[in-house]
Amino acid sequence: MSEKKDYNYNSPSKFNDEMKTIPPARRITELEKAQMTPLQAMVASFGLPRMIIAGFLLLLLILAPFVGVDLPTQITNIINRFSWNAVLVLAMVPMIHAGCGLNFGLPLAIICGLLGGTLSIQLGFTGAMSFVMAAVIATPFAVILGGGYGLLLNRIKGGEMMIATYVGFSVMSFFCMMWLLLPYSSPTMVYGLSGNGLRPTISLDGFYNQVLARFLEIDFAKIAAALHIGLGPLERIRIPTGSLIAFAVLAFLMWAFLHTKTGTAMTAVGSNPTFARAAGINVDRVRMLSVIMSTWLGAMGILMYQQGFGFMQLYNSPNNLTMPTVAAILIGGASVNKASIPNVIIGTILFQGIVTMTPTVMNSAIHIDMSEVIRIIVSNGMVLYALTRKTEGAK
Amino acid sequence: MKAKTRRILFSLLLVLILAVIAAVMMVIGRGHTVYFDNKTLEDYQGQEYKAFEKVVVTVKGEQVAKLNKRDRGMAIWIGQNFKMTLEITEKKGDEPRVQEVSIKLPYSVDGIVVNLPAYLAGLPEEAWFSEFVPAVTEEPEEEVPGEGGEFGLEGDLGLEDGLGDI
Amino acid sequence: MNKKKNIPAGKRLLELAQNNTVPIMFIIICAIFIPMAGFTPSYLMNEIVTRMGRNLFLVLCLLFPIMAGMGLNFAMTLGAMGAEIAIILVADWQIWGIPGVVLAMILSIPFSAFLGFICGTLQNMAKGREMITSYIINFFINGWYMLVVLYIMGSIIPILHPSIMLPRGYGIRNTVSLLNMRQCLDDLLAIRIMGVKIPVLTFILVGLLCLFIVWFRRTKLGQDMRAVGQDMEVAKAAGINVDRTRIISVVMSTVFAGFGMVIYLQNMGNLPTYSGHAQIGMFCIAALLVGGASVEKAGIGNAFLGVILFHMMFIVAPGAGAFITGDSMVGEYFRVFLSYGVITVALIMYEAKKRMAKSQTGRELAEAQVKKEDA
Repeated sequence: MSEKKDYNYNSPSKFNDEMKTIPPARRITELEKAQMTPLQAMVASFGLPRMIIAGFLLLLLILAPFVGVDLPTQITNIINRFSWNAVLVLAMVPMIHAGCGLNFGLPLAIICGLLGGTLSIQLGFTGAMSFVMAAVIATPFAVILGGGYGLLLNRIKGGEMMIATYVGFSVMSFFCMMWLLLPYSSPTMVYGLSGNGLRPTISLDGFYNQVLARFLEIDFAKIAAALHIGLGPLERIRIPTGSLIAFAVLAFLMWAFLHTKTGTAMTAVGSNPTFARAAGINVDRVRMLSVIMSTWLGAMGILMYQQGFGFMQLYNSPNNLTMPTVAAILIGGASVNKASIPNVIIGTILFQGIVTMTPTVMNSAIHIDMSEVIRIIVSNGMVLYALTRKTEGAK
Repeated sequence: MKAKTRRILFSLLLVLILAVIAAVMMVIGRGHTVYFDNKTLEDYQGQEYKAFEKVVVTVKGEQVAKLNKRDRGMAIWIGQNFKMTLEITEKKGDEPRVQEVSIKLPYSVDGIVVNLPAYLAGLPEEAWFSEFVPAVTEEPEEEVPGEGGEFGLEGDLGLEDGLGDI
Repeated sequence: MNKKKNIPAGKRLLELAQNNTVPIMFIIICAIFIPMAGFTPSYLMNEIVTRMGRNLFLVLCLLFPIMAGMGLNFAMTLGAMGAEIAIILVADWQIWGIPGVVLAMILSIPFSAFLGFICGTLQNMAKGREMITSYIINFFINGWYMLVVLYIMGSIIPILHPSIMLPRGYGIRNTVSLLNMRQCLDDLLAIRIMGVKIPVLTFILVGLLCLFIVWFRRTKLGQDMRAVGQDMEVAKAAGINVDRTRIISVVMSTVFAGFGMVIYLQNMGNLPTYSGHAQIGMFCIAALLVGGASVEKAGIGNAFLGVILFHMMFIVAPGAGAFITGDSMVGEYFRVFLSYGVITVALIMYEAKKRMAKSQTGRELAEAQVKKEDA
């Protein structure tokens, strides 16, 4: 059996290639827009699943006061969880833009963040400094691992998502061993008795727990006390300003980057690689850059998440954030090859809103907690919807 | 067209055959737990049926219980025609006698309690038959996936958790 | 084939090694780990034979979608879910022993076929991305499975026995005991050779499936499937209903996976309701790949070799991990790492090869173009 014959035998079907050359979704023309009813227009621009999810969240918010759920607390929760997750969701943007698809390899990025966090604590930093150092230490890891990851993804264009998933798993399970074997010794992190191997959950009290969230925090209860007025239930609202600012800064930088020359090149590579190559763009280099950016943002994202959540979770937990993050950006209106900053913000709010509201509202209303099942169906259904749309996601 | 009708006919036949097999399996595969008491039945229509000194129960060639007075034994049985061999010692010092017993088990009952003295005396069903009702025990709430997680971060519930035996 | 004779033996051996890197790697790993783990040979043999009986049927189901060019069917888990629903019902109706197993298999058909049909339809909507789609379908259907088992069973679908129901009155417990059908297939006709129990009946079932696969490849439908797998466009031109053929291959895979899951569960003797199906897909795929299969080509031999090697590694890894590092957890993580790793490598090789072939055809086309212009 000669090699050459083997290749022809297994040549990818033409049909597949044709699928990839189908042009991305047609923009709705002005004329068509005028002909639509307002509702139709809204559905067309917003997407049906998104409408359903937004409607569901709205319904939950309306129902909440009637079933005795405390709305201000819930809103505080949603804002908090938004601040934890938003950067992770933002990490999806560069890779989608460069046509690398949804970054199912998020565990890899999270591992970089975890390395930064654990090393920063190991080196004895505390308080706000530990957060800064975690971010600093995570960066080279993100660049190196992200670079390798990008190199790999450049070799397998077209099959990124499946491979990304399994690269994420492989790296994660490799680091499961590493957490046990690396010579960490900080008593806050290692198992108490044996003294070797990191604990699955590490409390960040005294390190970077809430460092960003407490920065310039708007606490309505304190304001009320200072002004000697009663604000009623509004007093339960607390806004983690620092975290939101940090996200805003990163999101703005992302937005600005996408409008630089390299950024537009990235968009070009994502929407039409052949054209981009013809225009003299080094496709592989741009894709590599997008993967590194995505990995670095993912590493920062997990640090943001940890500072809000207050704990660092190791071993298999990086896996748990992949689906919610991918689903969030898709709910926000992104597709497999198109994403923007508003997608990130809307998606995170909608997804985290549902995750926060469903358990409490359903529990109070019908005493059955189906939130977990709903979350699984919604998030995976959303990913499935994005993958099976024929016109878009041509990549 | 003809081939198509034939194909539909064949698949209908296949479904029918499978359904018949399933129905047969449901009848012959119904499992029951049979409990046998060697207990004195007091005052059945004014009469007393004394417990035996000792009963050895053999089901399918396997000795499942050795019952003294007031003992209860049990055996599992698949199907409705329950058969067992009893080796009965009526009073102390008696030679044991061997008796084959076959009981028709009702399909819908999981656990059946048979009072041996009453059954062997040939009394009607109501005298020796009763349904076994498992005792209701208070048990701790089970941790069920998908509930109680405050932050909804348990991942996708075990899928791809990685560890575990296969 | 004839050409092969002319190639010197050394080169042929090298080629053989190159084409079977993964199995050779696993043989080496096993060879190193077995003495470290320190198990007796009879224990190892027993475990391997048990696991072969338990898993081979499941692994063989993966061959159908590969035949149809749809890659590794991560959604074979759907069949497992169908089988689990069937098993729960059978356990509740108290059908025991072999009849229970047969009934569970029959009962699983409608569930698995329905789920397989959904999966095939969705995969047809995502041509070229079948694998990631099947992977996500897994999670998606798992949500629906949980909805059915956790909330609908006991409240809408009647469940009679409190022993399998949660104390709250609806939903199924974390584990359902299958004590009354435990190993009933394995024990019937089982023979012992030097202390190793061989579940003959289970192996006969596996053999029947193998025969079916061999026969099926020769039927019209099997030929169509292979044609679709090689080139959808050509198959379409030849008058094959591509979408239908692909759906059939997935449905067959899921239905047989359902049977396989019933065999698997009767061996285990209890059903972990919410995690039983979880790792099935991943481990079966890893086993098949360890046997030297690739994403587009796999045979029965790969399945057999893969199950033996993969499970050998699986059994000895914790012991070897404990031997090397003093911590058996390391070994457990290591075997998981190897499972993921082998899948990753296989996927990368597949995609890289696909791309190379594509660029080659592109180059040939370009050359032809140049020649044309020259002429």
